[in-house]
Amino acid sequence: MANFKVVGKPIRRFDALSKAVGATVFADDFKMPGMLHGKVLRSPYPSARIVRIDPSRARALPGVVCVLTAADIGYAKMVADIPGQTGQRERRGSETPVLAWDRVRYKGEAVALVAAETEEIAERALDLIDVEYEPLPGVFDPLEAMKPGAPVVFEPDNIVARWRIRKGDIEAGFAAADLIIENTYRVPFVEHAYMEPESGVAWVDERGVINIRVSTQVMEHFRTVARTIGVPQNRVRIQGAFAGGGFGGKEDITVEVFLALLALHTRRPVRLAYTREESILAHSKRHPYIMRYRTGVKRNGRITALQAELIADSGAYPYLSPYVSLYSTVMATGPYRIDNVWVDTVAVATNNPFTSAFRGFGGPQPCFAYERQMDEIARALGLDPLEVRRINYLRTGDTTATGQVVHSAVLLEESARRALEALGERTPDRGPIRVGRGFASYFQSYGRLMWLHDTSQAWVGLELDGTVVIRCGAPDPGGGQLSSLCQIASEVLGVPLENVVAYTPDTALTPLAGTTTATRQLYMSGNAVLQAATAIRKTLLERASRYFEEDPDDLDLADGRVFVKNDPDRSMPLADLVRICAAEGLPLSHLAMFKAPFRDPIDPETGQGDVFPDFTFGTFAVEVAVDTETGQVEVLKSVACHDVGRAINPAAVIGQIQGGSHQGLGYALMENLIVENGEIKTPSLSEYLIPTSVDYPTTQVILLESGTGVGPFGAKGIGEPALTPVAPAVANAVVDAIGVPINELPITPERVLRALR
Amino acid sequence: MLPEFELLMPRTLPEALEMLAGRAPDGMPIAGGTNVIPDLRGGRYRPACLVNVAGLPELSGIRQEDGMLVIGGGVTVAEVLEDPLVARYAPVLREAARSLASPLVRNRATVAGNLANASPAADMAPPLLVLDAEVELASREGTRRVPLKDFFLGVRRTVRQPHELITAIRVPLPPATARARFFKVALRKADAIAVVNGAVRVDLGDSGFCQTARIALGAVAPTPIRAYEAERALEGHPLTPETIAQAARLAAEATRTIDDIRGSAAYRRHVTEVLVRRALEGLWSRE
Ligand SMILES: Cc1cc2nc3c(=O)[nH]c(=O)nc-3n(C[C@H](O)[C@H](O)[C@H](O)COP(=O)(O)OP(=O)(O)OC[C@H]3O[C@@H](n4cnc5c(N)ncnc54)[C@H](O)[C@@H]3O)c2cc1C
Repeated sequence: MANFKVVGKPIRRFDALSKAVGATVFADDFKMPGMLHGKVLRSPYPSARIVRIDPSRARALPGVVCVLTAADIGYAKMVADIPGQTGQRERRGSETPVLAWDRVRYKGEAVALVAAETEEIAERALDLIDVEYEPLPGVFDPLEAMKPGAPVVFEPDNIVARWRIRKGDIEAGFAAADLIIENTYRVPFVEHAYMEPESGVAWVDERGVINIRVSTQVMEHFRTVARTIGVPQNRVRIQGAFAGGGFGGKEDITVEVFLALLALHTRRPVRLAYTREESILAHSKRHPYIMRYRTGVKRNGRITALQAELIADSGAYPYLSPYVSLYSTVMATGPYRIDNVWVDTVAVATNNPFTSAFRGFGGPQPCFAYERQMDEIARALGLDPLEVRRINYLRTGDTTATGQVVHSAVLLEESARRALEALGERTPDRGPIRVGRGFASYFQSYGRLMWLHDTSQAWVGLELDGTVVIRCGAPDPGGGQLSSLCQIASEVLGVPLENVVAYTPDTALTPLAGTTTATRQLYMSGNAVLQAATAIRKTLLERASRYFEEDPDDLDLADGRVFVKNDPDRSMPLADLVRICAAEGLPLSHLAMFKAPFRDPIDPETGQGDVFPDFTFGTFAVEVAVDTETGQVEVLKSVACHDVGRAINPAAVIGQIQGGSHQGLGYALMENLIVENGEIKTPSLSEYLIPTSVDYPTTQVILLESGTGVGPFGAKGIGEPALTPVAPAVANAVVDAIGVPINELPITPERVLRALR
Repeated sequence: MLPEFELLMPRTLPEALEMLAGRAPDGMPIAGGTNVIPDLRGGRYRPACLVNVAGLPELSGIRQEDGMLVIGGGVTVAEVLEDPLVARYAPVLREAARSLASPLVRNRATVAGNLANASPAADMAPPLLVLDAEVELASREGTRRVPLKDFFLGVRRTVRQPHELITAIRVPLPPATARARFFKVALRKADAIAVVNGAVRVDLGDSGFCQTARIALGAVAPTPIRAYEAERALEGHPLTPETIAQAARLAAEATRTIDDIRGSAAYRRHVTEVLVRRALEGLWSRE
């Protein structure tokens, strides 16, 4: 398939116009007759014992239909483990109370639910639920939480997960070094701030099935919902909607269990939609990390040893912290060939907001550390930062720190050269305004941990008029996932793109395709659609070969016709061929399951083993101007160069990269969820600032297409990778401008001035 | 969630003043609502009644009158940005308007609302302070004028009585020999509250000596302030690197800054000095 007709073309996504004009029906826009309104009562304390909960005054309020406390739901707990199909047994302590009853562990933890005739009544009812708390000492710093005698967030201690890598001989590695560079790096809590706060509507249908129409990245949560509330799995249906952004924040359950409980107890449709402030209070955050790095290098820049200690604040419940911290461990070295590696990672419970998945899933934090570290090495040795990286970059066939062989192309050097070149001529300094340049390379996995035994299913079918339907349970939180699936089917079946429809995921209608997380959806569901469409193509061409009396290999499908390749005038409309097949009972639909490679878990003592199906590689380069008198940093130019393997829809890929770049610039310079003693000091978008469209210039994107990825047509994943290298590149540019290190995010004006003092 | 309130929709100014007098003290004007609505949602206050003053014909428009630029009490920040009289006589106000919020908010936000809300960081305050603006307040009983420098009393407190409306902001037309500049440091380029903002205005006459100097600062004290000592250090002197540095230092000393999530007191003081210096330097240099 060298000459693509549809794949590789910057097509306009089918969902673009309706979103632009506000016609898309999101989860929150959906209404049902007789619908009630739900609200959640939340803890005002980060750590407290609940002495008493008395909902009687709320229940007596006219218009209140239902008030639920833990006692009313059998003290239900939810397993907040990695969702979807998984071969992994659950981890210790992954349970979370649905509603707290004896103890609250973070400010904002849910304590009671209300359903009422109007939102106003539901809100008033919250004030009438009497909860008596006895505040308890809390612990708000992971370093404190690890000390003996620290308040215990949950038994037996505050350690949520530990991971280690032991590769080579670390002592010998440092002994062989000419120089050892040692630094500590810190990154903050970050809020997803998706446009659409968590929302949904649930109802019990005539079969007794609980239907939940919700904004989510994970359809498979129907299983968690069923288990949590004690109904069979076939009694819960999740209907997806286009999600107004997710970025990992809708990977965990948000409103689903609350909605199911309220619908079940009231037997009426219930809507629950968080306000922005509630969203910030209630959902996960990106992990703050403290990262101590020690790197041994030869005088020429070659790394002989790397030792890293990573400490992640898991907040009040584990959620996905064990996995996020594993990702950080595996990617702690960066995309470098290092023989002697020693990594210790620990995720620690505190009474802070809980942390979980966020674009990059533990990749961006160590990238900040390892790429700052590379520039510090270059500075110490007086070498060019590119040269230091160049002699250490991984190459195809090398092994990562966990001993996994990289099979795909590793275009790191090319990406760095191209990105730096594209920055063009250097902007001159102007008085107190100093200009600096920096870049960062990275590797980031796509696809899930291989011991999760990940699969995706897609159903593709031809209608009698030659149009195509795709049923694939892949949530689309805005990345254009469904649109790309249409392109793949269109390419394989030779059907014009506008004749392909992909349904929004719905566990009753679309086969399970797994989560839209881990940059896996194009890889997994793209391959599933490719398989399904290819099977139908085979049926079509075999039948057509009898008609044309030609070998199937000599036939092709394009533009809604089947034709003889070297004699295209001999052709037939696809619809005619479809009718022939249908009349003869030939299958015109196909359900395919794509399986990622399965592996055993890594060795817990050494961290050795295969972890991910593949990695994406690239470089981000940036030029900044630093005002040395006010500390303000202005981004002048930025370039992102990634090997995406194959850009199925270059417009969508560029959009992902520019979006990831902006989000990363915000991570670098602006975003800072300030948490003091367990309380969020930036509780709304007036205090928690995210970039606007005027803050940074548009990032120039250079796409490399090695065609060596494990996705369809050689695609790699780009959703998460787009963000990973941005913050360290900016930090390196600022350091280049001012000549002193900055090892903490975000790089606020004050921090720059303090560094200069 | 938005609490319940009564909404009164007067069609004329006298009607509005009548309503406010009748409902005082729990009637509250609302213009663009860009402060009021978020405040109501956040539970900062709960007025029983809102009196909508947006669109009152008497409060509309920007005009020139008896040596004054008169900005109606209902004029939006977006209108300020477009207005030719403002561009001509008060470009410093235009600069500030450009930095306030974002186009969507500016379409609703009014200048009067910005002043009446009395945030220490209000972006309209410093330019109007250096322009020696007066606030015209009307009630059923009559009209009075208050110099803007005497208008603010504290965080969200002003001399305005609950039954009074700002009907206009009056700015004396500055002499052609005067120049002014606005400055703002914020953590984002749009939709961001100032960490420090301010304005300077200097009239050099034809003498080369400062005849009048005005320096106003925001977000560095409980109200927008004038830095009087700094102004005095300039008046009667030429603008030299030394006098500018001295004025900038005095301006920083005039601040009563606090630490908050947007910046530390020390940072605010430091940046005040830098920005006042740069603004003064920039008045007669071309950038
Ligand atoms: C997203 C966003 C960003 C913002 N960014 C900025 C910014 O960068 N800089 C900045 O300074 N502000 C900012 N603000 C605040 C706000 O937009 C301004 O203060 C605005 O000028 C207020 O005007 P308004 O007409 O909306 O006032 P309203 O909200 O209607 O009223 C504000 C106050 O003024 C009173 N009031 C209104 N009109 C009158 C009148 N004619 N007479 C007497 N009292 C009156 C009201 O009773 C109330 O107390 C922002 C607000 C939002 C929502």
